[in-house]
Amino acid sequence: MTAFLSGISVVCFVASYAVALACEASRLVFRSGVRGAVMVAFAAAGLLAHTLFLGWRAVNEAAMPLSSPYDWYLLAAWMLAAGYLYLTVANPRTPVGLFVLPVVLALIGAAQVSSRAAFPQSPATQVWGAIHGSFNLAASVAVALGAIAGLMWLIQAGRLARKQAPLAGFRMPSLERLAAVTARTPSIAAWTAAAGFVSGIVLNAVNHRRGLMETVPWTDPVVLRMGALVAWLVVADALAAAARRRPDGPRTGARLALVSLAALTLSILWGLLAPTKHGQPPVAPAGHEAAP
Amino acid sequence: MTLALVGGTHRTVPLDLRERLAFSAEQVTEALNRFRDRFPGREGVLLSTCNRVEFYAAGAEAAPPAEQIVSFLAECRGIDAGLLTPVLAREQDEAVVRHLFGVASGLDSMVLGEPQILAQVKQAWALAQESRTSGPLTGGMFQAALRTAKRVATETALGRERTSIPSVAVADFASGVFERFDDKRILLVGAGKMAAETLRYLREAGGRDVTIVNRTASRAVELAARLAARPGDFTALEAELAAADLVVSTTGSTEPIVSSDLFARVEARRDGRPLVVLDLAVPRDFDPRIGDRPGVWLYCVDDLAAACEANRKSRQRELPAALAIVDEETRRFMGDLHHRATTPVIEQLRAGWSETGDAELERLFRRLPGLGDAERAEIRQAFERYAAKLLHPPLASLRDESRAGPPHGLLDALRRLFDLKD
Repeated sequence: MTAFLSGISVVCFVASYAVALACEASRLVFRSGVRGAVMVAFAAAGLLAHTLFLGWRAVNEAAMPLSSPYDWYLLAAWMLAAGYLYLTVANPRTPVGLFVLPVVLALIGAAQVSSRAAFPQSPATQVWGAIHGSFNLAASVAVALGAIAGLMWLIQAGRLARKQAPLAGFRMPSLERLAAVTARTPSIAAWTAAAGFVSGIVLNAVNHRRGLMETVPWTDPVVLRMGALVAWLVVADALAAAARRRPDGPRTGARLALVSLAALTLSILWGLLAPTKHGQPPVAPAGHEAAP
Repeated sequence: MTLALVGGTHRTVPLDLRERLAFSAEQVTEALNRFRDRFPGREGVLLSTCNRVEFYAAGAEAAPPAEQIVSFLAECRGIDAGLLTPVLAREQDEAVVRHLFGVASGLDSMVLGEPQILAQVKQAWALAQESRTSGPLTGGMFQAALRTAKRVATETALGRERTSIPSVAVADFASGVFERFDDKRILLVGAGKMAAETLRYLREAGGRDVTIVNRTASRAVELAARLAARPGDFTALEAELAAADLVVSTTGSTEPIVSSDLFARVEARRDGRPLVVLDLAVPRDFDPRIGDRPGVWLYCVDDLAAACEANRKSRQRELPAALAIVDEETRRFMGDLHHRATTPVIEQLRAGWSETGDAELERLFRRLPGLGDAERAEIRQAFERYAAKLLHPPLASLRDESRAGPPHGLLDALRRLFDLKD
């Protein structure tokens, strides 16, 4: 059993999600009576492998889900994959996977190029670290869900405006349902991102006092990008709220959700490419050993 | 065993004659009772819809001749048989099966893939069962037809896309905007023909709050009573439009009743809520420019007709797959039917071998009186197994041969080889 669990790799669940995505894409090409079952089976197998992989890392490698950028991305991908599986089982005729699975695969891809080194922790920073990581995770998932719903809204609205009948096997949710998602996610994203930012400041202060990690200056790329992202999400929430009672409110909300995802993507890329002191152990002064 | 079909459809029989030839459910029962008396021992099922009248007949020896069925139908409906003879088609055996399977699957309907025909086929068979004119042949055939229709419905998208304007309006467009209709306010403007049908689909989708306004108030009251809706005031149309989520408009007005200017005033009172307008009137009731406004989803008859046509084309693309299923099921049914025809020969063969085996066993047991019951049972079973193994190859050959048609040659050979009597 141990050999089996340790043998589960990222390739296992990436391959399963990729097959599920290919099945979703094939809806546009041909009809099949067994495709739904195959799709759900691969998505479920992928999610199971994904869960076991995260569980194995937590138990045997002391890498808790939010303990490193690598694990953070994998947990975000896991949450979206779980949401995808639920939505697909609940709405088998809706091609949710075409929109969700690319984001899941992109997050797993981001995990592969991000640091696997765990953030140094003490009991105090572990709590603040968990709060900081959880809020950022919730914000990212909310932004991704909002953007997925927004994209689906624009596609569905385009079809209805062109007065076209829906494609066989490609029935999108109603505008009303999608608009309900895009109306809720901006607030969730803005508040959780703000909470994540504030808890990050607290975490930084605790780290600074204990000398556990390198102090992150206000000019650090992580602070700048997260600050900019929080600012944008707050503005986007305000704009979406202002547009809500206008006839074009849902369209505005859908577009803002897509811009928010673009902002989040840029922020992630910035984080991956720019040098940062975020999560780095303190640099020992010349001639001294780093504090244990 | 033969199967016969005599019938006419919207393609072959003119409407006026089709109307005279059509049977109500009571008339079907009456006709089947007459058929049972006229053709004892034969089977018959009468399928009568607004688009077709078809009589399916069968007989263990032979079905009634087609001309007698034509005369019978003419007599039942009091029509000169000479009028029916040139327009009613006649089919035999496999062609009958293929036709019925296609009919039940909606492949022969005016609107390809329409599902109502399946219920009508079921009803026709049920009436024949009640009248005791359906037997093993027609029973097996209708059962197989229902199975075929189910396969076509589940394995192809033939019946999936809607093709009537009201159904497309609700299922493909209004349902694309709204998730549910039980919390929506529906406004029917005018009392046009399509209003009631569209409302039926909206009710099926959950619509409850329905208001009807009409220039003639009494007509609105009358229609509202018939459709379990609330009559509204046509003079307060602006307020009704402001409150509505979905509008179905079917007035006979020659000018648009909702201009762009009027709608601008309505829009200001709507609080940004989306509005679906199904303008089913010709000429249109809504100024088409209203459809360009954000949050308004306006569909006229032409828009919906284009979507219906696209759906019809989509159904046409599914036709080859549906025909392949009908073909496969027809071959399977005919194979079973032909194989069933070999039953008397097989039974004779089994009986002959069993008789010989029993006689030999009796002789053996007399010569070996010391055998106990257990040994006797063992020997009897061994004989039966031996006979079954010897019979297996000819029976398998008969079954295989039945798939291609009646195995007359093999049956004849078996009769001659084993001296079986007809």
